[in-house]
Amino acid sequence: MLRRRRSLIPYLLLAPGLLWLIVFFVWPLLQVFLASFWSGSVERGYTLSLSNWTNYPNAIEPVLPHVGRSVLYSLTATVLTLLIAYPLAYTIAVRGGRFKNLLLFLVVAPFFTSFLLRTLSWKIILSDNGVIFGPLKDIGILPDDFRVLATPMAVVAGITYNFLPFMTLPIYVALEKIDLRLVEAAQDLYAGPWQRGGTLVGGLVGGVLAAGLSFAFGWPPVIPVVLAILVGAFVGSVFVSEAFVRVTFPLSLPGVFAGSLLTFIPAVGDYVNAEFLGNPDSRMLGNVIQNRFLTQNDFPEASALSFILMAGILVMVLIYTRLLGTEQLTQSRI
Amino acid sequence: MPDRIDLSIEITRRRFLAGSALAGFAAFLSACGTQGTGATATAGAATLPPGTASTTAEPSVGVRATPSAELNWANWCCYLDVDTADDTKWKTLEDFQAANGTVVNYQEVIDENEGFVASISNQIKNSQDPGWDIIVVTDWMVARLVRLGWVEEFDLANMPNYVANVRDIYKSQQWDAGMNHHAPWQTGMTGIGYDPTVTGVLTSVKSLFTVDPRWKGKTEFLTEMRDAVGLAMLAAGTDPRTPTREGCDKAVELMQKAKSDGIVRDVKGNAYTEDLSSGDAVLCMAWSGDIVTLTDTPSVKFLFPDEGVMFWTDNCVIPKGAAHKGTAELMIDYCYVPEHAAQVEAGVAYITPVKGVQEIFAASADNKALATDPLRFPPAELEPKLVQFGILNEADEAYFNEQFAKVIGV
Repeated sequence: MLRRRRSLIPYLLLAPGLLWLIVFFVWPLLQVFLASFWSGSVERGYTLSLSNWTNYPNAIEPVLPHVGRSVLYSLTATVLTLLIAYPLAYTIAVRGGRFKNLLLFLVVAPFFTSFLLRTLSWKIILSDNGVIFGPLKDIGILPDDFRVLATPMAVVAGITYNFLPFMTLPIYVALEKIDLRLVEAAQDLYAGPWQRGGTLVGGLVGGVLAAGLSFAFGWPPVIPVVLAILVGAFVGSVFVSEAFVRVTFPLSLPGVFAGSLLTFIPAVGDYVNAEFLGNPDSRMLGNVIQNRFLTQNDFPEASALSFILMAGILVMVLIYTRLLGTEQLTQSRI
Repeated sequence: MPDRIDLSIEITRRRFLAGSALAGFAAFLSACGTQGTGATATAGAATLPPGTASTTAEPSVGVRATPSAELNWANWCCYLDVDTADDTKWKTLEDFQAANGTVVNYQEVIDENEGFVASISNQIKNSQDPGWDIIVVTDWMVARLVRLGWVEEFDLANMPNYVANVRDIYKSQQWDAGMNHHAPWQTGMTGIGYDPTVTGVLTSVKSLFTVDPRWKGKTEFLTEMRDAVGLAMLAAGTDPRTPTREGCDKAVELMQKAKSDGIVRDVKGNAYTEDLSSGDAVLCMAWSGDIVTLTDTPSVKFLFPDEGVMFWTDNCVIPKGAAHKGTAELMIDYCYVPEHAAQVEAGVAYITPVKGVQEIFAASADNKALATDPLRFPPAELEPKLVQFGILNEADEAYFNEQFAKVIGV
């Protein structure tokens, strides 16, 4: 009697969640999928037909640049958030002490305001003659026609800012769980600073940053990248210990993996940042879908694009999961 | 003894888990069973007025309607006489409340026609309360809404002032000959908003498409297709009164070239006023009345280009299923009393559709200058320059929207 009741309980506990998913996720998704096989218009009505599979290639073909841009901006934003969030999460987890909760609250606090307001506030901050660029232009560091708003840089900056907590919190959770005695033990075994691990990490980070900045600002890449690698390598070898590279980072990889998924997947479909901070040449796939749905009322094309986006993200995430293979990576080190 | 105590604890925990699972499941089922009171609009940037769920529609046929306790009105920016000290107060609405007891929830949430109508289209299609009693949309959108049956028919017995005072030039619309689905709100002009202290004095719409270091990278186009394509057609030399696909192609080509030459900073809706205000943009396709409200940047001016200005009318309509139709009719009628229309017009720099306002200004002490303001009462010599975009059939409209989407970048 007791055994049979035990086997039913998990299903009863899952049932509300499953029902919710089916009603509010699976069913609407099915509707969108069916809509992608429609032909017709809002006023004349729609007809469903398998021969409308041509909606898919017709929808994606003119917007391939937008797809490329969405992936590029999201990848850049994900890498940037990782570079910013990792030191932040590390400081809070390892050196936070009494202030851990306060610091975590400060990371999450911007989320209490609306997503739209946060993006619009960046419009004010990044304004051509606003608080940042006005003084710099007056002094003469920047040319008068320099601007960040209405460029891809502003879009990437906006996405990075908006998704920072999504990257910080999973990394924090992963770092919190690490037993610091392992790090201590590693340092006792000569895995301290001035080793090749720190040099490598520093050089890599410097190189990536310099390459990104050169690409964004249109500088010739060779000199900045070489310089950044050298400076980064030096800074890394002083501040980043071998123990970090061999113990801490591999143990925190599950957090990095979760954070990067939580950042990349919503960023690819984002349209708010591109709409308010970008210009007509930096629109993303999300803007296209919004235009097809709301302005052109072209539901079949918009639905087809949505499904292509979903399928694309799924494929990329599967490849990423295989590549990272977190279990192997974390276990082989320890 | 210890075994028996352990066993009883284990059973209690299991029973607790089982009990909570069953209780949770039961609660979920009972919550599912209650029918919700109609979906509420959440799309777009519209703030939802409170209490939009299921209020019964008021009887409004034949007799003058009883004003309801509240009214929900969605409008564009800068279209009502805002109090200069407190931008959440509008004198006309306060006066209406004093006369009728209705609290008007007035929100300037409309940024562009398509996006706003899309945010309430699901409710209208499913015969639910769209959340707004009055919305203000442009002619071509009114034509589409009337065709789709998405607007309520006015009970003109409720609106004697509207019937008596609407100017005659508005009475010749083919898409609402009976004038009982829409009430013109303001007529405006699309020309150029610019800062002459940066760009120098300009006269031609072709400036928008000419490379010049004074405004290169600081020019903005509008996302409103008929305004942007219309002005581009005037610059290309074709006539927007009779729009053709070839004319559209030439206009789009001109705008794409302006983009690739680096002249254009962005293509946006009403938000261009923020960029003009902050100085991020110095030359924009602009709506006539907006410029006057940019009091932070008094150097920004409105230009009537030599080639012509696009002219259009925004109209009040009552969306189908609105909860307070009778009160909406009373509100519109209130605004058609010449004194009240003059009160609105003193704060709104567009063209009023109400007869008698110019005379009231000319006779008043404070507002005498407004009687000759070219933005509010365009002089007779301006009339040949006023260009109204021609009516498009469904297939042409789709073509124009598709081509223009390339300019927006989507």
